[in-house]
Amino acid sequence: MIEVKYFGAVAEKTQCEFEKVAFAEVSLQDLLRDLNEKYQFESLSFSVAVNQKIVSKAADYQLQTSDIVALLPPFAGG
Amino acid sequence: MILPEIGDEGQYKLLKSKVLLVGVGGLGAAILPYLAAAGVGEIGIVDDDVIEISNLHRQVIYKSSAVGKSKAEEAKLMISELNPQIKVNSIPEKLSGKNAISLFDKYDIIVDATDNIFIKYLINDACLVTNKPMVYGSIFRFQGQVSVFNYQNGPTYRCLYPDQNNNALNCEDAGVIGISVGIIGMLQANEVLKMILGIGEILSGKILVYNILNNEQQKYDFDKSDVLLMTKETFEEKYNRIENEVEEIDFETVFDEINNDEVLFLDVRNEDEVPEISLKNKIQIPLLHLENEIEKLDKNQTIYVFCQSGIRSKIAAELLQKHEFKNIKSIAGGALVMKQLLATEIKL
Repeated sequence: MIEVKYFGAVAEKTQCEFEKVAFAEVSLQDLLRDLNEKYQFESLSFSVAVNQKIVSKAADYQLQTSDIVALLPPFAGG
Repeated sequence: MILPEIGDEGQYKLLKSKVLLVGVGGLGAAILPYLAAAGVGEIGIVDDDVIEISNLHRQVIYKSSAVGKSKAEEAKLMISELNPQIKVNSIPEKLSGKNAISLFDKYDIIVDATDNIFIKYLINDACLVTNKPMVYGSIFRFQGQVSVFNYQNGPTYRCLYPDQNNNALNCEDAGVIGISVGIIGMLQANEVLKMILGIGEILSGKILVYNILNNEQQKYDFDKSDVLLMTKETFEEKYNRIENEVEEIDFETVFDEINNDEVLFLDVRNEDEVPEISLKNKIQIPLLHLENEIEKLDKNQTIYVFCQSGIRSKIAAELLQKHEFKNIKSIAGGALVMKQLLATEIKL
């Protein structure tokens, strides 16, 4: 199980703050692609963190079970 | 002074420090009193806005009797009374490519208390040129982010969010509650004071994300990425070029042309953005796709570009001008202003 956390405008799109995805192992790129298909993130810009560390979305990263992925869009209010 | 971490030495460090606050709206209203009360020796306040009634629920330093007055001036009055011993400079101007560098040069720490992403990138870039740390804060409804960029050569805003043009939410008014800006603003003030006093751990290379609904906070680490070195020349090229070349126009001025078939209104927001603007001669091409779909537009036609509040439309206008479009103007204030005027006219 991999946990995915959503913040800000991303959480608005997904209508939830986190969810668990049933993969024991998956590449970050595949996971993001799946999520994009499911939620249509297209126009949203966000950075991605794995286990509290921001990683490049283009990175060749293999996720393992119990990893926590976070999608962090920039906030603009003030 | 009594706290062992501070003492006389700490008080002196505060007195010698100069902090520039960019924006004295929601975030700024929370940050400012604490910096002043702590004794920061010199504080600059940049904000060209005036106080409106709708601000008062979250910009808690303003009095209802001061509606219509300059925020920077009122803020200066308030903190001069709070702490008459410090120097306060009110700068009732919009921060831009023209004044950012000369302003930042005069201060030690720059605090980002703004409400739009374009300006955050500008502040970041000017901080790189002038070698100052940037204390970043931002809100989205009940969540907030805090970080310190460019601290002792640390990571910057662009290291965290490299994608400037992709951003859809530059101008969306997502709604802000007073408490959110209060908490995040104070966390920003906290970073400023820690830096000045040299105590605690600074949020450099770390972004704090706070959720006031469940009181959860997360910290995410991020590295410095290999970004282009920002010099004064590249800064000038980037920001002053945009501001010099694109012509801005008020919607009121073009209102009479909304039924003119020779004119085109170009909406560069994303399809899901509201309020919807219904115009006879309008086309919608999100900024993200504009370069790819540019053949849909006629280079000789008069095109009025708009977005949510007038920032992305300038970027779009600049792009069109680069592609030899002859007659482009950007509508100041964007859909938010247009909607109001269209609604009033219909009622008449």
